[in-house]
Amino acid sequence: MSTVLTVRDLRVRYTVSRGFVDVVHGVSLDINRGETTAIVGESGSGKTTLAMALCGLVPVYGGEVCFDGEQLKRDRRNRLSPDRKRVALMFQDPLGSLNPRMTIRKALAEPFRIHRTGSQDPDGEALRLLAMVGLGDDFADRYPHQLSGGQARRVGVARALALRPDILIADEPTAGLDVSIQGEVLNLLSRLQQEMGLGILMITHNLNVVRHVADQMAIMYLGRFIEQGNSQQIFSQPRHPYTAALLSANPSPDPNAQSGQIELLGDVPSLLQRPSGCEFHTRCPRAQARCRSSFPDLTTSTGKQQFNCFFPMGE
Amino acid sequence: MNPPVLDIRGLSINYQTAIGPLQALRDVNLVVPEGKIIGIVGESGCGKSTLISAIIRLLAPNAQIGQGSVCFKGEDLLSLSPEQMRSLRGDKISMVFQDPMTSLNPVLTIGRQMSDVQYRSKSSRADKKARSVMMLERVGIPDPDTQLQRYPHHLSGGMRQRVAIAMALMAEPALLIADEPTTALDATLEVQIIHRLKELQREFGCSILFISHHLGVIAELCDEVVVMYAGEVVESGSLREVFINPKHPYTQKLLECDPARIAQPTRELPVIEGSLPDLLNLPDGCIFRERCSKATARCGTEQPLLSGDHHQAACHLLEPSP
Repeated sequence: MSTVLTVRDLRVRYTVSRGFVDVVHGVSLDINRGETTAIVGESGSGKTTLAMALCGLVPVYGGEVCFDGEQLKRDRRNRLSPDRKRVALMFQDPLGSLNPRMTIRKALAEPFRIHRTGSQDPDGEALRLLAMVGLGDDFADRYPHQLSGGQARRVGVARALALRPDILIADEPTAGLDVSIQGEVLNLLSRLQQEMGLGILMITHNLNVVRHVADQMAIMYLGRFIEQGNSQQIFSQPRHPYTAALLSANPSPDPNAQSGQIELLGDVPSLLQRPSGCEFHTRCPRAQARCRSSFPDLTTSTGKQQFNCFFPMGE
Repeated sequence: MNPPVLDIRGLSINYQTAIGPLQALRDVNLVVPEGKIIGIVGESGCGKSTLISAIIRLLAPNAQIGQGSVCFKGEDLLSLSPEQMRSLRGDKISMVFQDPMTSLNPVLTIGRQMSDVQYRSKSSRADKKARSVMMLERVGIPDPDTQLQRYPHHLSGGMRQRVAIAMALMAEPALLIADEPTTALDATLEVQIIHRLKELQREFGCSILFISHHLGVIAELCDEVVVMYAGEVVESGSLREVFINPKHPYTQKLLECDPARIAQPTRELPVIEGSLPDLLNLPDGCIFRERCSKATARCGTEQPLLSGDHHQAACHLLEPSP
């Protein structure tokens, strides 16, 4: 499996009135062709900021990103400048990301116009894209408000994949969708991924979705990956206590299920006052004195599962 | 036995639109017994929001109540004057909304808002404050005295939703309506809120009507479930009956589609083929017929009625053939 995007120690810092906050705090990640990498974590953990930094929408503070072996340059404002034709972004709110005064045909033809790529017939391309995501020609002349949530997602997928990118960054691709439609969108993404050999970076907090579609996963807490690796392995044996709590907290629709939930106390700490030592110690059921004073090094266990914890689960 | 806290019978609601009436709810029956948590499950467009707006009488101006009654402790809410209705809201019936940021006032402190909702009480300002502190403690907010001086934007999403719950329970209502209160929260906070709601429900002895499309949350919290599809109740019963042994083909499909119930990871997730029927031009017969794999000729002509004792479902397949 060839690696298409390599991220090393990426940092994003926002300046605020009382100083600064490190929203993304040293993140390393590889995205392979044809694979889905999921990033999970609570709101405010930095998932969306990471996605925006990779697309060059927010300035980065440090770190390196290589695309196909070549290091990405930064522009004057310190933003990464990936080739927008090859890295596509699907935004969280599908309706909000479509221009309400543009027909679907026009929205889908726009990438071709902007990038002045080969196609002589942007209209024809728009219809081809609609067909690709399973919508009929009659959708071409509709406006965004005439679409249902699921249809708007499909248009979002079509537009993101218009120029046959190598990487798709999908921010919460199924948020707000009903379960039956959620399946449609995910199946569509999986099919297109197979056909195009696409690397997908999926940001979500729906763990049920991650379990089915992700090959690799990373769990983010306060801007860091506290655990990452093969997703099946993490689901069967989480090592970091936060991962374990997150996985156990997933409410099961089976009334007979043994709950065994690990309830975390308290709230996510503020980024303005990062806790000392291991940043999870304020909520961790396994925390000891050592966790409060020093930060645990990265441990790599069998099968490349990586985590930062002094007292990992299963030991 | 006491009468149910809420008893909705034969409720039908239409929205007047430029191209004719949109039949958002049709002949809906729902009972919320005392001290129980009832869940309403259904996908977007099934009428969940219209139903709760009808209960608290906050329907859009173009909505028309066709027929039916909404009895709260034996009194038909639909026949009350706006003043009478206002005196019930926030006192006997209260609500927790989906988004805690928009349901709290951003320019007033938490303390001010919590005292304001006690406007009916004659107690002194200090007593109201003490009660606010007590309520915040009960929903598990640390250091409540300090929190009272803070503004909603100072609090995290989970804290805000807990404040909203504290405010809703302030007057010890008989009925709490919660409209997707955990959708905006993450898994770990979702579990916190659900457990808290369950504890508080036991403490206060109120009934809860809980709306969600997250099947896992419903399974975790509710005693009984009502499944709605395109404006109709298609199945209802105890949580275990409905979730373990669903009778209606729609409920069966809905449960099958939930990725959480599929043990083996798969890239081909099941879906429900087709789309919702047009509520402006209702099809004849069963409302789910067009998407149902088991439909027969009879389903196209005759509308099935809810049948069964406690575990009810509206499907011809459940009746003995005539």
